[in-house]
Amino acid sequence: MITEILETLFLILTALMIAYLTRHYIFTLTVLKNHQKHEKATTVGNAAYQPTVSILIPALNEEKVIGRILQRMTELTYPKDKMEIIVIDDGSTDDTGKIAEQCSKAHSYIKVIHRSEKEGGRGKASTLNAGLKHAKGEIILCFDADYYPQRDILEKLTKEFADPKVGAVQGRVTVLNEPQNIVTRLVTLERIGGYRVDQQARDSLGLITQLGGTVAGLRRDLLESLGRWDESILAEDTDITFRVYLAGYKIRYVNEAECYEEAVESWRAYWKQRYRWAKGHMQCAFKHSLKVLKSSNLRFREKVDGLLLLNVYFMPILALLSWIISVPLFFLKPPPWFGIFWVSIPISIYSFVGNFAPFFEVGIGAYLDGRTRAQWLIPLLIFTFLYNIPICTKALIDLLISKIFRRNGNHWAKTVHSGNGNSYIMS
Amino acid sequence: MKENEWKVNHLIFGFSVGAIASYMLLSSSFVSSESVYMLIIFNFLFVSLTFPLDGTLTRKISMLLIGNIIGLFWNYLFSLFAYTVAYYLGDFFNTVYIILSPFVNFIWIVSFWSISLTALTNSKDEKQRLRLDN
Repeated sequence: MITEILETLFLILTALMIAYLTRHYIFTLTVLKNHQKHEKATTVGNAAYQPTVSILIPALNEEKVIGRILQRMTELTYPKDKMEIIVIDDGSTDDTGKIAEQCSKAHSYIKVIHRSEKEGGRGKASTLNAGLKHAKGEIILCFDADYYPQRDILEKLTKEFADPKVGAVQGRVTVLNEPQNIVTRLVTLERIGGYRVDQQARDSLGLITQLGGTVAGLRRDLLESLGRWDESILAEDTDITFRVYLAGYKIRYVNEAECYEEAVESWRAYWKQRYRWAKGHMQCAFKHSLKVLKSSNLRFREKVDGLLLLNVYFMPILALLSWIISVPLFFLKPPPWFGIFWVSIPISIYSFVGNFAPFFEVGIGAYLDGRTRAQWLIPLLIFTFLYNIPICTKALIDLLISKIFRRNGNHWAKTVHSGNGNSYIMS
Repeated sequence: MKENEWKVNHLIFGFSVGAIASYMLLSSSFVSSESVYMLIIFNFLFVSLTFPLDGTLTRKISMLLIGNIIGLFWNYLFSLFAYTVAYYLGDFFNTVYIILSPFVNFIWIVSFWSISLTALTNSKDEKQRLRLDN
């Protein structure tokens, strides 16, 4: 009896892992296949379409980086009469507000909103909603304070809105401080797999393109009709992604719209950031899984991809569980199919790292970017996987506890930015 | 042949060679079934994801065969190590070996795949990623 239960459980878990693997294998092949075609296609856009845009920059104690992004905003090639920049000083206790005010005095299209310490620090969704009240543009774009966009990024992103079915758009995130240390190098690999291949393939295949919370744009009227950002969810970006799709709109990914970020520089900071992502993503899984299944606005393949995307942060835990289950099963009575599934576990382990791109997906992304040296570090992604197991497990336990005891367990652990990325910017 | 072109002929040839290598491994009684499964997975992933890339067919075939040889050698060495340690430590090590063997086996696959991809990446494409002022 025990053997049968273990067998069934093991079979379900490994089948799930193989489903994720197959999905990422298809993504990788799609991007490889479309590589040449895509490079040609994306250079042609509706550049004539230039709606008014409001750029929201939430900033909490970002004095080391806020000046850099605001300076960059003044260098954007988008018509200045069609853009406004709104810095939301989220109750900073450092000089963030002062630096932003100085920029605002020099440039009329930069506005600064100050929130008190009491109002601020409640999370990004709350900050963005505060900024949205002051925004006038047709398109709302979000940039984190540590980001550094290409000069023509707005043209690349906004041209997608010429299609009325497009509700939102996402650009590519690339790591600015990659050479800093091993953590930033591994995060770079995760970003390559996650954006260059994963997001690109989902866009090409007409699946669920995910908004990343930054370098992202939404139609203002759509955002208002959806009830703005949900402040009870830690991953407000994933939440709004699914609300956009459930409302019948599409999200486009624009790979050539690159923006550079300052990646976390220590394992401790990595833990805090990923814990927030994991918990927020799991909140979205509980909130949206059933809605995705029932939705009449989503096609079958979008539903399948949506469910896999929503539940991806459970996978490191399930991969570990399948390994644990397989041990007694191996010694009790291994079924004939056991060997094949047994060897599939390590591949899965190399799949559930960071942004959950398997080693082959990261490798192909690095190849397409021409990153020879970065490829050498791919075997080390095993460490980020191992690190993600306790992160995701803790996130799940905390989420379940807060659900059972009906507590608001949301604590926004802000990622601290050192400003070290400045040294990598070439003028 | 143009750069970035999907190399169908390379893919077909690679799958043929991979299939022959996999058949030989399956027919062999000297290799454990787990190792055979690993090598089949390696052959499939390697051929389908690296053969369409830029690079000569000869280089790709050579890397596929080297990968199979390394895989066999790795397994042979690892099993020798396991038998020797088990002789001194007893059955406990056998258990550890069984649990960890697929994982340890997979380390060479990822490492070899990563190095092979590096070899295929055209050196002229290697450049600083910061294209800030495009």
